[in-house]
Order: sequence, then C-alpha cells, then structure tokens
Amino acid sequence: MPSAQEYQLLSPEILLAAAGLLLLLGGAIGRGMGNRESALVSFFSLALTAGLVVRVQSVVPGRLTILGGSFVLDGFSFFWKLLVLVATALVVLLSVRFVEEGGYRASDYYALLLLATSGMLFMASGYTLLTIWISLETMALASYILAGYFKREVRSNEAALKYFILGALSSGILLYGISLLYGATGTVQLAELSEGLRGAQAQGNPLVPLGWLMLAAGLFFKVAAVPFHIWTPDVYVGAPTPVTAWLAVASKAASFAILLRIFYEGLGSLRLEWQMVVAVISAATMIWGNLAALTQENVKRMLAYSSIAHAGYVLIGVLAVSRVGLWSVIFYLLAYSFITLGAFGTVILLERREYAGETCADYAGLARRSPFLAGMMLLFMLALTGIPPTGGFVGKFYLFAAAVEGGWGWLAVIGVLTSAISLYYYFRIVLYMYLRDSDQTTPVPLHAPALVGVIAFCAFATLALGLVPGPFIDFAKRSLLPLP
Amino acid sequence: MFDWVHNVPILSIVCYLPLAGALVVMFAMKSGQEAAIRKFATGVVFVDFLVSLPLWFAFDRNGALFQFRESKPWIESIGVRYEFGIDGIALLLVLLTTLLGFISFLSSWSAIHTREKEYYIFLLLLQTGMLGVFMAMDFFLFYVFWEVMLVPMYFLIGIWGGPRKLYAAIKFFLYTLVGSVLMLLGILALYFYNAGGLLGWKGLGNPATFFIPQFHDIGASIPPDLQVWIFLAFFVGFAIKVPMFPFHTWLPDAHVEAPTAGSVILAGVLLKMGTYGFVRFSLPILPNATVKLLPWMAALSLIGILYGALVAMAQKDMKKLVAYSSVSHLGFVMLGLFALNGPGLNGGVLQMINHGLSTGALFLLVGVIYERRHTRMIAEYGGLSAEMPLYATFFLIITLSSIGLPTLNGFVGEFTILVGAFSRVWWWGLLAAIGIVLGAAYMLWLYQRVFFGPLTNEENRGLPDLNRREILYLAPLIVLCFWIGLYPKPFFRVLEKPVEYVLQKVDPTYATAVAAAPAAAPAQAAAAGE
Repeated sequence: MPSAQEYQLLSPEILLAAAGLLLLLGGAIGRGMGNRESALVSFFSLALTAGLVVRVQSVVPGRLTILGGSFVLDGFSFFWKLLVLVATALVVLLSVRFVEEGGYRASDYYALLLLATSGMLFMASGYTLLTIWISLETMALASYILAGYFKREVRSNEAALKYFILGALSSGILLYGISLLYGATGTVQLAELSEGLRGAQAQGNPLVPLGWLMLAAGLFFKVAAVPFHIWTPDVYVGAPTPVTAWLAVASKAASFAILLRIFYEGLGSLRLEWQMVVAVISAATMIWGNLAALTQENVKRMLAYSSIAHAGYVLIGVLAVSRVGLWSVIFYLLAYSFITLGAFGTVILLERREYAGETCADYAGLARRSPFLAGMMLLFMLALTGIPPTGGFVGKFYLFAAAVEGGWGWLAVIGVLTSAISLYYYFRIVLYMYLRDSDQTTPVPLHAPALVGVIAFCAFATLALGLVPGPFIDFAKRSLLPLP
Repeated sequence: MFDWVHNVPILSIVCYLPLAGALVVMFAMKSGQEAAIRKFATGVVFVDFLVSLPLWFAFDRNGALFQFRESKPWIESIGVRYEFGIDGIALLLVLLTTLLGFISFLSSWSAIHTREKEYYIFLLLLQTGMLGVFMAMDFFLFYVFWEVMLVPMYFLIGIWGGPRKLYAAIKFFLYTLVGSVLMLLGILALYFYNAGGLLGWKGLGNPATFFIPQFHDIGASIPPDLQVWIFLAFFVGFAIKVPMFPFHTWLPDAHVEAPTAGSVILAGVLLKMGTYGFVRFSLPILPNATVKLLPWMAALSLIGILYGALVAMAQKDMKKLVAYSSVSHLGFVMLGLFALNGPGLNGGVLQMINHGLSTGALFLLVGVIYERRHTRMIAEYGGLSAEMPLYATFFLIITLSSIGLPTLNGFVGEFTILVGAFSRVWWWGLLAAIGIVLGAAYMLWLYQRVFFGPLTNEENRGLPDLNRREILYLAPLIVLCFWIGLYPKPFFRVLEKPVEYVLQKVDPTYATAVAAAPAAAPAQAAAAGE
C-alpha cells in the first residue's frame, strides 16, 4: 500500500482522474450535465491539477522515486505535466463551441479528455516499462473513442477504427518488446534495465536487439515517425478538430516524454545502437513528412503531415544526446504546442457553420474578411516554417545547433533544407488568405470569445517564445534528464 | 552640432521608426483613409531619412571601426546579445536604404491603388528589416533581420505584382530561404568552433557568443577544411541574394513582377545584402577559404558580368533588361571584392552604392513610363524624347551613370574595380572591361530605341512629362550620381578604415598562400608582392 506521503505526491493524478469520473457520473444522472458546465468543470480541474503539480514539485528535492521505484518525480516530469495540462486546458476551450454544434453528449467528451490526460501525467512520471505502458494505454483508449466521438459522421468513424486497429497493433508490439527485454534482464524498472542491458548486451543475448527495436517501433508509432505514421493523416482529418489539435499537441508531447525517458534512462547503455536508428528515422520523417504535405489540399491533412515532419525535427534533438539536444527538444515542443494549437484554433473558428475551412481554397480572401484571423494564421504559418521572430524559429535554431554540435551535420542539412521546403505548403494557406480574392466578402464573425482568446493567447506565446526565449530556456534547462 | 547623436540609441531609432509607423497604420488607421495613410507612411520614412542623416556627419572617420554602438543582453543562456553598430560600409548602406526607402514610398503614390493600407504596412516593415541587417553586430540578430525581411517582400511581389506574381513571389521566398538556412548552419559552426567545438573539431573554448568582431578575431585560427565548409554555407546564402551566376534565376522573375517600389528596393538594397555578407563575413572571417576558392569566385563573377550583359541585350521588356543588367553589375561588385586589394574592395563597396542609385533610378524611370502606358515593351516606344524632354534627359543621365561615363558615379566605381582586378590577375580586368563595353551597348541601344527616331506609336503622342512629385524623387538620385562622379573622396574616406580592416584580415593569408605555392600564376604572385 502506498504511504500517506505517496498519496500526497500523487494528488494531481488522483484529482484529475476523479474529476474525469465525476464528469462521467454527472452525464449519467438525470438529464446529464450540459456542455458549458462540463467544460467549466474540466477547465477548473485542469487548472487545479496544474496547481497541485506545482505544489508537489516544490516539496520534491531534485529527484524522488516512489511506489517501489515505478513512479518518479523530477524536473523532467514536472515540465511535461505542466505542458499537457496547459495544452489540454486550451483544447477544452477550443472544444466548447465545437461540441455544442456537433450535438453529441458533452460530458462524456470532457470526461474522456480528462481521463486521457491523467494517463499522460502518469506517462510523464512512469519509471517502469509497465507503468509507462499502462498509462500509455489509458491515454490511447480514451483517444480512440475521442477520435470517433462524432459517431454519425463517416470520417470520424473511419478515424476511430483506423486509430484503434493500428494503435492496438503498436501497443502489442510495444508490450512484446517489453516482455523480451524483461526476459533478457529480469526487470522492467528503467534504472535496473539499463544496467541489466549492459550485461546482456555484452553476452550477445539476441533478445536485446529484438526487444529494444520492438520497443522503439512502438514509441515511433506514438510520436508518428515515418514509417510508423500511416495512421496520422486519416485520424487527424476524421477526428473532431479539437481532438485533432489535442492529438497533435498533448498526445505527441506525452509520447515524446516517454520516448526520451525510455531511450535515455532505460536504454541508456545501448545509446550508440539506437542513435543510428533514430537518425535514420528522423531523416526519413523530415523528408517524407514535408514532401507529402506539399500536395495536400485539405488543411487538416496538411497539418497532419506537418506534425509528422515536426516529429522528425524533434528526433534530431533526441538523438544528439547532449544538454543542448535535450533542452532544445523541450523548448521546441513547448513552442510547437502553442503554434499548433493556435493554427488548429483558427481552423476550428473557420470551420463553423458560415464558413467551411477545411480546404485551402476556403481561405481565399480571408485577409479582407477577417484581418485578425488572417494575421494570426500568418503568424502560425511563419512559426511552423521557422521564420523569426517566432518561437518556431528559436526552437529549430536550437535543434539544428544540437545537431551541428553533436556531429550530425548531415541531419542538420536535411533539417534546414526540408524546413525551407515546408515554406511552400505553409504559405499556400497564406497565398490563399492574402493573394487570392474570393467572391464572398462578408466579414467572418468572431463571436466565440473562448476560441478567439485561445488563438490570441497562442499568438502571444508564439511571439514571446521568439522574442524573449531566455526565461523559457532557463525553465527547459531545469527540466533535463540525466544523460546516458 | 551632432554630438547628441552619441547620447541616444540612434541606430535603434532609425531602425524601428518604420516599425512603429507600421504599427500605427495597422491599428490606428482605417482602410478608408488612403490619402492619410499614404502621407503618414511617407512622412515616417522621410523623418527616418532625416534622422539617419546625422550619422553621416557624426561618424568619426578616424575613430573606432564600429560606431554608435548599442549593446544589451538578449538571450543570455546561449550568448546572444542585442548588438548594434555600423562601420563605414554599413553607414553608406544605411543611408542608401533610408534614402531609397523614402523615394520608393513617394513613387508608390500613383502606382498603388489597391489595398493601400496593407501595402504601406509591408513597405514599412521591410524598411525596418533591411536597416536591421546592416546594423546588427550579433550574428543571431543579423539572421533574424535577414529572414524577417523576406516576408514583407513576398507580399509586395505577391499582392501588388504583375501577372505572374504568385509564381514570382514564392520563387523569391523559397530561393532566398534555402540560401539563408544553409547560412544558418555556417553561423552555428562558427559559434561552436569559438566555444566548445563541433563535429570532431576541437573548439577554442571561448565564452559562447555570436558577436561578429569576435569571429573576425578567431577567423585565421579556424582550420582550413572547416573554413571551406563554412564558406560554402555562407556562399549559398549570399550568392543567391547577390545574385551570382548560376543562382540568379529568381531575380528577373521577381523584378519583372514586383511593383516599382518593390523593384527599387530589391535592386537598390536587397541585393546589396549579399555582397555586404561577403565583405562582412566571408572575407574577414574565412581568409583561408577565401583565398582557396578565389578562382571560383572570380570565375562566377566574370561569367555573371558577361552573361548578364549578353542576356540583357536580348530583352524586349525594359524591366527585364534592367534586371539582367543588375546581374552584370553585381558581378562587377563581386569581382572587386574578390580582387582582395585596396582598389578592388573600395571600388566594390562604392559600386554597391552606385548600383543602388543608378538601378534604383532606372526602375523608377521605367515605372514612370509604365504608369502612363501600362506596358514595358521596348517595341511599344520610340521617339519619346520629343514628347517627354525632361524624362528623356533624366533617363539619359542615369543611362550614362549606369554605363560608367566619367563625371558620373558609375565610372568611379567601375574604374577602381578594374584597377583592382588588373593588378590581381590581368585577364580578369580584361574580361571585365569587355563587360563594360557590352553594358554600354545594351543601355545605349535601349535608349536609342525608346527615345530617338520618329514617334512610331500614336499612343505615345502627348504623354505628360515628369510631374513635380516625380522630379522630386528623382532629383536626389541624380545629384548623388554627379556628386560621387565628381568628388568621390568623402565616400572613399569613410571606407578607408573598414577596407583596411578587411584587407588586414584576409591579405596576410593571401601572401603566404601564394608564397607557399610557387606554381600559382605568376601574375598573382606579382600582384601579391606589391
């Protein structure tokens, strides 16, 4: 049984899971909780959880392992928890209108969102392969349902089914890899695993390469790296757009958290092997993600490929295995989260009834119809391309810096060239917004204050990360993992 | 009289005034008030020009290399600082930018009639971006301005351009972006070499910084093979911008499609960023690589000179002709810089200014006639001198300036470049001189076809001559052309120190390299022995 102190340290996770269950219950009783109330409850429980995370962190001395070595509290987990909580809170705000207009029961939607997020919190702190796997599944199962939440829409169904089948397959592979590593070393605890692998590796145990490759494949699936990315475009297009935003940001961030944790702490002794594999995957992801995005006419699909490409950039920082590499990953995902949420927020705002907003052509003449929205979208597209003075530029700058410093010059070259190419598809939207006229000239109404607020906040964050990155970098530097 | 300049952050004021103006236009002015926006924006750049003038007088010719310094911490954790400062080269380019900025705003009044609010916002932002590039003394900051500036230019071409504007805009952006991201890798390599090392090269262990003079100081100690890599990374960025043959193909498209003001700024200032990059970074920071790759650089410059001139000769569109003439003229600048001697560098830098003045004026003049007739085809004109005598006179002066007639600015620049080139390798000078002859041919032939002979096209009858606004914005350029042509000394005086500085960094290596390789061309050895 966990001790009282351990319960205290787990209070954020417990609170969030409880809030999720409460929402489920609230939806089942009587007429059920309405959309606004559920959103309000979710938003405040996320905020409260974030407060608790900060409080817990303030009493943790450096690094603390609890629950028999399966749960760790450190600067690293602190950062990811805050990131997924903030991202999910923003997604809640993005969802209010959308869910209302969709006409589906609202409370379950938010309940699933919260339960999945509590899974993410466990992912950030998981310190045995099994804890990580179970928390990953908590997140994944809720995501499958969320992707198919608009059950009367064919595309949403398709997304859920594809996501579920491929996700289950990858979870199986992941678990199989875990069992092989367990067979080779007799442990699933990351610190012990790293030690055990060193010995097993020396003996030439064939389970070791097989095991870690399967483990890695499962992780690459979760971060949507090529060639494990096939699910991404269809799921992103079919899922309700706020869910897409959440998958692209929170889910991706949490997946990167466990990827870093497992590679650095669990597979630390195999560093030289996995570095090469990650390098190849990273190059393939950058190239394919960007090339495939070039021809997309659907904005959500384009953003899906763009999120694949960005996973490739982040992997550069992962494989650099240096302090610069680590905090560049952290900084980059921070910037990427706000930029992506802002971009999806704009898509959501336009997607509402008066305005389609899924194909590039729907953006024609937006600069005239809504200079505000067009300006915001321009900023997000610039940031995704990596043009200063945005957070996207500073993030890419650090990633490439890590590559140059660490001796991965060829990856840096691929990285900069593909990000120059990415300008073409990001600016296709800009081209439609500013350079093309549309026959419609009525202004786009901005009567969704929550949505507009999120977009403006993300724009502010994007600029702040680009103009005064100092404090954020210092924060990132306090969130490092021990290097293998 | 100008002492106050040293007590205020004058460079920041000059740099951010247009940005402030853009914000005012963006938030405080409505789309309905076109006339007010026009006047306000032009007023802002005029004030900016006035504020930048004291720089010329307060700049101490005998003082420190970089003056009007501003230095503040920015991103401390990686050693990025907010560093502003200008030397003589940057001083001239800053003044050129503020002057051409003002002129291009004035020229837009009659040319732009759609979406004027956005137009002036982008033009103002562009101004800030360009000024920042010349003022930045921190490589990170430099890069930020360098990229920021691409965005407004993209919109200027893409929204207010000609029929193929969409294609030209994205081509411009993609080309220059590819170049600049590779340059970024070069910057990172320098950064890590100065600090902790990279890619297997052991670093110098200095505190991490992006401060440009620091890179100048460590330049000679960078291993030669690393220098070559960094040089190539920079080369792609700068050469695309210049543009050097064979990276020039974006230029004619961008020029032909851009609105007049866009062309003026593109030719007058943007292209100079490439050559400025070579003088500021490639030469002094990478002396070894510069010397090693010298023959390639010279060859590309010479090809650019001759190729640009020959292609210009075949053009039917005036703007395209001027665009290709830019390729040729920028080849001259590059040849001067890579002559690596006093005359060559002096001439090269001065010719950057000259080209800004003459080509800027040429684009303005083409714009004038385009506004009246909505065509730039040479064949549409003929015998204009009778209809528009004043216009013909202005055009003639600029034509002569462009082909390098004595008493005008082009002559001074081209002559000094030729002196530099001849004393480096005699046949460089010879080929460049052929380029001058070709230049005279296509420009005079253009003039002849447009202005002389009988009036062949009835539509040209009764075209109004230059109006007062047009005279106002062309006159300063004409005056400057004569000033530099008749009395270039003040300009060379400003360049003295920076040119000497660059030579000091790059020349010792050159002398030793030639001494170490006796097989090199005897002419080179003779030149280096001077």
